[in-house]
Amino acid sequence: MSLRRDIYQALEDIVGPEYALVDEPFLDSYAFQWGTELFRPNGNKFMPRPEAVLLPGSAGEVQAIARVCNKHKIKYKAFSTGWSVYAAPYTEGQILLDMRRLDRILDIDEKNMFAVIEPNVIGATLQAEAMKVGLNTHIIGSGCVSSPLAAATSFLGHGPDSLFMGQAAENLLAAEWVLPTGDIVRTGSLGAGIGWFCGDGPGPSVRAIIRGGSGARGALGVFTKCAVKLYPWPGPAQLPVEGTIPAYHSPLPPQIKAYTIAFPDWGAYADAHYKIYDAEIGYILHRQYNKLGEDLGPAFFMMYIDPTKTIDDLEEMLERPEIKKLTEEMRVSTQIVLCGMTQGDIAWQERALGEILAETGGWKVAAMSDPMMEKFTLLYLIRLGFKGLNMVFSGGYRGSFSQKGTPDFAVGYRAQAASVLAKHQKTGLIVEAGGDSMMGPGGGMGGGGHIGFEQFCFYDPSDLASINAALDYFEDAAREAKRLGLTSGYEARIFEARLTEQEKRTAFLSAPQPALYRYQRQIKDIFDPNDLGDDQYAVMPKDRKGA
Amino acid sequence: MSLEQYSADMKRCIRCSYCKWVILSQIKSWRFARGCPSEAFTKIHTYSASGKMGVSLALLEGRFNYSSEGLLDIAYKCQLCGSCDVACKVCRYFMEPLEMMRELRARLVEEGQLVPEHMFTIDGLRAEDNMMSKTKGERGNWIQGCDVKSLAGEKGPVLFHAGCRLSFDEELSPTARKALEILKKAGVEVGVMGKDETCCGGRAYDLGYRGEFTKYAEHNTEAWRSAGVKTVVTCCSDCYYAFKVLYAKYGLRKNVEVLHVTEFLERLVAEGKIKFARKLPMKVTYHDPCHLGRLAEDYAPWNGKEKKIKGQIVTWEPKRPIRRGANGIYETPRSLLRSIPGIELVEMERTREYAWCCGAAGGAKEAYPDFALWTAKERIEEAQSTGADALVTACPWCERNFLDAVPSSGSNTAIYDIVDLVGQAM
Repeated sequence: MSLRRDIYQALEDIVGPEYALVDEPFLDSYAFQWGTELFRPNGNKFMPRPEAVLLPGSAGEVQAIARVCNKHKIKYKAFSTGWSVYAAPYTEGQILLDMRRLDRILDIDEKNMFAVIEPNVIGATLQAEAMKVGLNTHIIGSGCVSSPLAAATSFLGHGPDSLFMGQAAENLLAAEWVLPTGDIVRTGSLGAGIGWFCGDGPGPSVRAIIRGGSGARGALGVFTKCAVKLYPWPGPAQLPVEGTIPAYHSPLPPQIKAYTIAFPDWGAYADAHYKIYDAEIGYILHRQYNKLGEDLGPAFFMMYIDPTKTIDDLEEMLERPEIKKLTEEMRVSTQIVLCGMTQGDIAWQERALGEILAETGGWKVAAMSDPMMEKFTLLYLIRLGFKGLNMVFSGGYRGSFSQKGTPDFAVGYRAQAASVLAKHQKTGLIVEAGGDSMMGPGGGMGGGGHIGFEQFCFYDPSDLASINAALDYFEDAAREAKRLGLTSGYEARIFEARLTEQEKRTAFLSAPQPALYRYQRQIKDIFDPNDLGDDQYAVMPKDRKGA
Repeated sequence: MSLEQYSADMKRCIRCSYCKWVILSQIKSWRFARGCPSEAFTKIHTYSASGKMGVSLALLEGRFNYSSEGLLDIAYKCQLCGSCDVACKVCRYFMEPLEMMRELRARLVEEGQLVPEHMFTIDGLRAEDNMMSKTKGERGNWIQGCDVKSLAGEKGPVLFHAGCRLSFDEELSPTARKALEILKKAGVEVGVMGKDETCCGGRAYDLGYRGEFTKYAEHNTEAWRSAGVKTVVTCCSDCYYAFKVLYAKYGLRKNVEVLHVTEFLERLVAEGKIKFARKLPMKVTYHDPCHLGRLAEDYAPWNGKEKKIKGQIVTWEPKRPIRRGANGIYETPRSLLRSIPGIELVEMERTREYAWCCGAAGGAKEAYPDFALWTAKERIEEAQSTGADALVTACPWCERNFLDAVPSSGSNTAIYDIVDLVGQAM
């Protein structure tokens, strides 16, 4: 334990000895994270070991911890469910706050359609409870094991249902925020003492400070409670699940339908998205199955829904004529769930989708409308409990070319992104899944309007050669994205983490939006004057403040 | 196997936390969503399977040593119930979290890192051939006065194995007698080993004492061979798992059919050899014992190697069987319960492959009694939420832990072994 004994004692006194961890095996389990091998040298699976891990049981305890940390100038950061390198400390000498003890759904306001939650509530539990009263919650792209509070307050937050339910940032209502200094701010209507229903007043309206597009990733204080919007759910009070592990599927009433829709070309794909937005149809719109690659995705999922098969059957599946045909049919495709609030509504949505397909030359992929496959798609996209399949091939994946924009913008850079990946797949050191491994929501915000794409690259995190090959690809992808004038995506985060202060300065000044980093610097100076937040919050280095 | 053989699993673990919950698609409420008793009890990530993946990798990389503070607690405050394993394998074909956790324990034992409470139990096993720290001479007491053939000296086709818990736990022993009576009444030519019966070795295996496990596995299989046993039937799910799965894993289960008593009884009901004469007007819910459910799939020997296709996709040559809880003994006990007149069977939220553990297994009851009872109380509360009058199980270790937990749970839920209900209805 390198933390000074008196400091440790002060922290332990706050949370109690059972929730103050300093022994090496505990600390290393918290440094162990997904994706670390890309961020750390030589395939290292561990981020910097925290000095201590604390599990606070209330906002008051978080506040007390923050005050001790400020007094002794110790960096600290919190995480909710803690998936990915972003949840771990970026630098040595930090204290990590695991918010696991705060895991309650404090309220579901059925009439006003919102829920008040703590950090360790996950999408699946919130959805299960919301459905009991005819409501549903937005589940972010990383799946239902993730924290809706973390997504809403501190990180990214679009997903398959964003078309209907918006992205997490849009769903944030009032919040309880422990500032880096330890002061507590109650945002929006909560700050005015009139409840949780609004994030932007009356009371402090700080949405743009606490988060922009991708949030401060735990580096700007701690959110201990927040309210999130809920949305109508016309299905049963409990999601019905049938089938044999892992091929679970959900038989839902006829007003809830799932289709894979395919198109003759990318222009038609984009046009269909505009028309879907204009028609205001759809509950979920997501290019999901292509995440495993245009060459492998159809075969994999046909294999997966047969519980007698395993990954060892994939090669044989790929050789089947009907799978080869399906693979060709699905190259330009996406998944859509229609959810009628009434029988008339679903009839209207079905008709509208039919007309959109007719106008764009698109079609419903018959094999994916097989009842079993449809029920699987419904469960997959509504609960989003199969997101771990992102890593099913080799154990490691990371996104690249992760962009959001109009459908025309997204399909416009898709081909170039695919060709960069295809080039690297030829090495055999990353998975040869087909150049286009683009996944993403067909509506990155409520009501649609833009597509989000993410190009998957799969590698083996137990094989250094594969890790290095993936890094080569991501470096190439970052270079190509910059050449195309795209904003930096997931791939760029890897290399940002390796920058020296001098390199960071140069990089931020030459970024497409340099003012962003100056603005964030100013926020940090005001809210975190002792600079105790983690380095993941991208700010202009201090001596160039306002430059 | 060795811990090192799971290092690729450790590096491929993505710390997604699936292992902490019941299978995500099966979550029905906030209250009963947790799957891992260790993580739910401690609330500390380290105790989850993913946490142990990180701990084990750090250990192998020499970031700390075997005697590091907290390591034993992390490895052993766990029932090895396998909930994490099935939750992980919904999305991963190449991960074996449960096997990795077992190897961690075996390594700790090899390194002389021993849990004192387990030492007491293991010393008792070595001296008295049972996990209850009782005198071996008392082992046959449960059968006193019962007219049954001893297969310790004679030959017979069917062996009823009582197991340590039912042999020595006087409150539960009547269940073993009842099972034996039912089998005899149905005309089964059944015998017992009586005072010569020994532990199955399964619990020793879970605690990491591989030598003790092998000793008892070899002894038992030799005793079966000598007695001409063709079928072994047991009421104990732990023994069932050891005989069916672990003995097969070690190549020791040869030409012997292993049946849980529920399988045998279902067979006898179907053949008309068991007839129910009494109605039992009860609403019951059934608890799937881990060792009869998700862990009880047949073990298929496999000897192959990893083969990457499409560059880096991890597959195996020849095809590797996957154990993910699909083929446990789930329907048999339910079918048996439904066949009893008057019984209404209702399901808890966490059932079958994603059932919540009773809390007793993996050495938890011996070393961490508070944790074991907390886990049982969680299950009793879940049972109570169904409106059931009784919680029925098919394992004496589950039953014992539930019975111990009921008084402090504030529940009036009755606890039964399924055999007792069958017996009452006959």
